[in-house]
Amino acid sequence: MVQQNPLGASASGSLLPDSAEQLLQRIGHLTRQMRESIRELGLETSVAKVAEAIPDARDRLGYIAQMTERAAERALNAVDAAQPIQDALAKEAKGLSQRWDAWFANPVELDEARQLVMDNRAYLKSVPQQVSATNAQLMEIMMAQDFQDLTGQVIKKMVQVIQDVDTQLLQLLLDNAPSLEKKHEPAPAPALAADTAPAGNQLHGPEVKTGLVDAVNDQDQVDDLLASLGF
Amino acid sequence: MLDKSIKILVVDDFPTMRRIIRNLLKELEFVNVDEAEDGAMGLEKLKAGQYGFVVSDWNMPNMDGLAMLQAIRADPAMAKMPVLMVTAEAKKENIIAAAQAGANGYVVKPFTAVTLEEKITKIFEKIAKEGA
Repeated sequence: MVQQNPLGASASGSLLPDSAEQLLQRIGHLTRQMRESIRELGLETSVAKVAEAIPDARDRLGYIAQMTERAAERALNAVDAAQPIQDALAKEAKGLSQRWDAWFANPVELDEARQLVMDNRAYLKSVPQQVSATNAQLMEIMMAQDFQDLTGQVIKKMVQVIQDVDTQLLQLLLDNAPSLEKKHEPAPAPALAADTAPAGNQLHGPEVKTGLVDAVNDQDQVDDLLASLGF
Repeated sequence: MLDKSIKILVVDDFPTMRRIIRNLLKELEFVNVDEAEDGAMGLEKLKAGQYGFVVSDWNMPNMDGLAMLQAIRADPAMAKMPVLMVTAEAKKENIIAAAQAGANGYVVKPFTAVTLEEKITKIFEKIAKEGA
């Protein structure tokens, strides 16, 4: 087999780019070489595992996108709901304050003063209710932040998968580098982290897909499961 | 009537989640709340202080929530400590394992303020009933 530089298109020293046909041939050759090496090195199973990790990674990324979007929406909706309450409180207080200022500047009409006192009283009564409505929205904003824990767990897993894939590919490259004169014994491919986790009591993190039979989808199902077991 | 001054320990490796749970407890008028960031630290605090209730995550470094729960149940000094698991682990096998290890309640993340309140109320009602 003719040794070729797999990275450079100018192995012959020529700076002319390959023709399309040459390029295809080169890619075809590299692919074949890669496949053979993978088989020779016994890396087929590792590569299969990496391939399996990809759709799973897609689900995880989808989950992260969905959770962050939902959190942002929840927070923005809560702000939208709270702002009019705050504006109304401020506006009403300002109106009453102006009326009081006017009365103190010219404290004559008793009827007007009586009405002002009554309006003021009604306002004071309504404040705690309004404040508690705003508070409910603040709580909603706080609860919306729970995505950080859930996506954080999923992101940690993704980082692990990427690290595994990276290690495997690097190993493949090292074992197969044409520049190495002495063909050393291939190092055993590192196992994917999932394989090394102890069996039983495994932790899975947040469910990124719904409708699985071995997992619950909501709190009601947790309660039902526990009740059915007598807990 | 439930004693709101009871000392509560919140164990979770995510600071955001600890803050959320602490705020929810404050909203429920539980003000005596302390935090730990994993099971090992949680267990240490529990052994040192007079806690009356634990809210714990499951998946944490060093010592996970289930191991901590098992250690609590194995220690005669705090074997009866009520423990509420609040975790993202939603597999049936996990829920059953936690119940078998002696968890007093199990809440799956993401959860609502109402769910947390319900579970806490239920746990203390049950304890009051058993104590009566």
